[in-house]
Amino acid sequence: MRPVNTYTKSQEAFRRACKVIPSGIYGHQGPAEGCYVPVEAWPLYTSKAQGSWFWDLDGNKYIDYMCAYGPNILGYNDPDVDEAAAKQRAIGDCTTLPQTVMIDFADLLVDTVACADWAFFAKNGNDATTAAVMTARAHTRRKKLIMFKGYYHGVSPWTQKIDYAGVLEEDVVNNIVLPWNDVAALEQCFAENKGQIAAVVSQPYMHGNFHDNELPAPGFWQKVRQLCDENETVLIIDDVRAGFRMDLAGSDHYFGFEADLICFCKALANGYNVSALCGKAHLQNTVSSLSFTGSYWMSAVPFAAGIACIEKLKRIDAAKLLNEKGAKLRDGLVAAGKKYGFDLHVTGVPSLFYLRIADDPTLKLHQAWIAECVKRGVFFTTHHNHFINAALSDQDIAETIEIADEAFSIVANRR
Amino acid sequence: MDSKTLAYINLHGILANLVWLCQMDDEAKKLIEGVDIALAIEVKDGPSGTLTFRDGKCTYAEGVGKCDIKLPFSSCDKFNGMINGTVTPFPSKGLLKIGFLLKTFTKLTDILESYLRPAPEKLEDPVFFKKSTELMFHLIASAVSQIGNHDRIGKHSASYIVDGNVKLGIENGIAMQIVAKDSHLTTLHTCPEDCTAYMMFENINTARDLFDGKVNAVVCVGLGQVRIGGMISMVDNINRILDRVAVYLA
Repeated sequence: MRPVNTYTKSQEAFRRACKVIPSGIYGHQGPAEGCYVPVEAWPLYTSKAQGSWFWDLDGNKYIDYMCAYGPNILGYNDPDVDEAAAKQRAIGDCTTLPQTVMIDFADLLVDTVACADWAFFAKNGNDATTAAVMTARAHTRRKKLIMFKGYYHGVSPWTQKIDYAGVLEEDVVNNIVLPWNDVAALEQCFAENKGQIAAVVSQPYMHGNFHDNELPAPGFWQKVRQLCDENETVLIIDDVRAGFRMDLAGSDHYFGFEADLICFCKALANGYNVSALCGKAHLQNTVSSLSFTGSYWMSAVPFAAGIACIEKLKRIDAAKLLNEKGAKLRDGLVAAGKKYGFDLHVTGVPSLFYLRIADDPTLKLHQAWIAECVKRGVFFTTHHNHFINAALSDQDIAETIEIADEAFSIVANRR
Repeated sequence: MDSKTLAYINLHGILANLVWLCQMDDEAKKLIEGVDIALAIEVKDGPSGTLTFRDGKCTYAEGVGKCDIKLPFSSCDKFNGMINGTVTPFPSKGLLKIGFLLKTFTKLTDILESYLRPAPEKLEDPVFFKKSTELMFHLIASAVSQIGNHDRIGKHSASYIVDGNVKLGIENGIAMQIVAKDSHLTTLHTCPEDCTAYMMFENINTARDLFDGKVNAVVCVGLGQVRIGGMISMVDNINRILDRVAVYLA
């Protein structure tokens, strides 16, 4: 049996944080929204990171399957990306006039992403999705948006729900939420809102929390594309989460259709702070008309990092590599679960897999297993899809399966 | 704030709380000794319920059952007016038993109010503090279901709650549950044997501080003062409704 982690320093730091930072750690990286069940099983702060690992404040080491919730695609501190960033930093980063590295990055994205004729840069995924929706509304002069149940497109008021704190009814009144994979509902919605739908906004497949992730049914995206064309509606793919882990040309390309607008962030620059909205030529002038920018949106270091990241992802054929690693991990975890009589579901694509022990619909059993994994050095989450990075080694995968096996045995003994 | 939702909370939450009051408060217990009266309240386009005082106990059931006194209200606003003291009710049945309404019932509701809107100094008495907090807990749990079923925004939250039950409780203390079925919520004032999700307060002080808005649930979860688990999306949506409880009970 492996030793179990303790988190004295993390907990001390969190108590300190609670005095001066709202909720200590706000958002998805905090213990509440991060669904740390039980909270004592989880580290709260990082002390360092390298490759596929990070260490917490108490010195415990983790094989990291959250990858900073996506940005870490090549491995923490990737030498090629960091070198490019360091060179650019020596030249200049946040400057009065933008640097031409911005054009180089846009060129690279246009060459890489199938539907991209241009690229618009910002900082977070939410910036890109908001720019996309503004573009669609400006282009169509319509208000309504179609989204799919289980959606997540960021944190701006328009992406939230009427019952969220600080959100007004007016912020979300034009959002129409339909069931995923339901073509009939989509057809009916278009028919009932003729000439009113500005955009369909969706992730490439349903990677909502607390449920098995769901791929598009055969022909679903082609039908969506057709309906958007027939209704002169903009099709926006939110590839912030899945981008570059399924297909370097875009997740729409993976599923055999073309988006009008596609949003990237997370894996775009291996942790350097940049997001991008890419799109088709007919929307370029509309984007030019937007009043939408930010103090750091043209900082040069993330552009240089992004170029190095995308070029390396191409060199190593990252989408294929990450899916192979994910598949190897998936097979090992499922087999380990089976050994103890657990039906572990691994859904979504292997490079961003979602885990759920299906024997208990309340997820309590699953939460107990995940907690035992975390306490032994495998950083999984209880509710969210996971991420594979290119630095993850076969040895990491083998060790993960070993720890998962031990965690299954502990949970099995408690049953 | 929606008047109809408030009426449901006032009847199924506040007046129904007399059940627990008559179990825990000696003065209330004494007041209903020997009383044998059923009081029905019927609100047009709103809730109805029957409080029965018998054998030294108070029980409550939704709907108008067999009753000795019936108080009809022509609107939710009128009923809410009775609760806040601006409307005087007039029974359509049981005029001869109006003394119960004027004396015993009024006294009971006064005692209830002393627990639900306590003077700060009274909370320094640990026995009073416990009773007050438990009564608030019953009320808040009831209000969650009423808001989830009637308030427009609350209904939106409830629509995201999958079928099952959420246990709400205080460690080593009282617990109750919210049962969700087809987005309809029902509060049961009993501790479930098992649950789909749970939210447990580490002690009565934490519960009280949360009820009074002195601390934040997200912080408490991080500090381990509130435990959540199971189908957490249910807890998340219950919490969104809990945020609206303050709108109605402030």
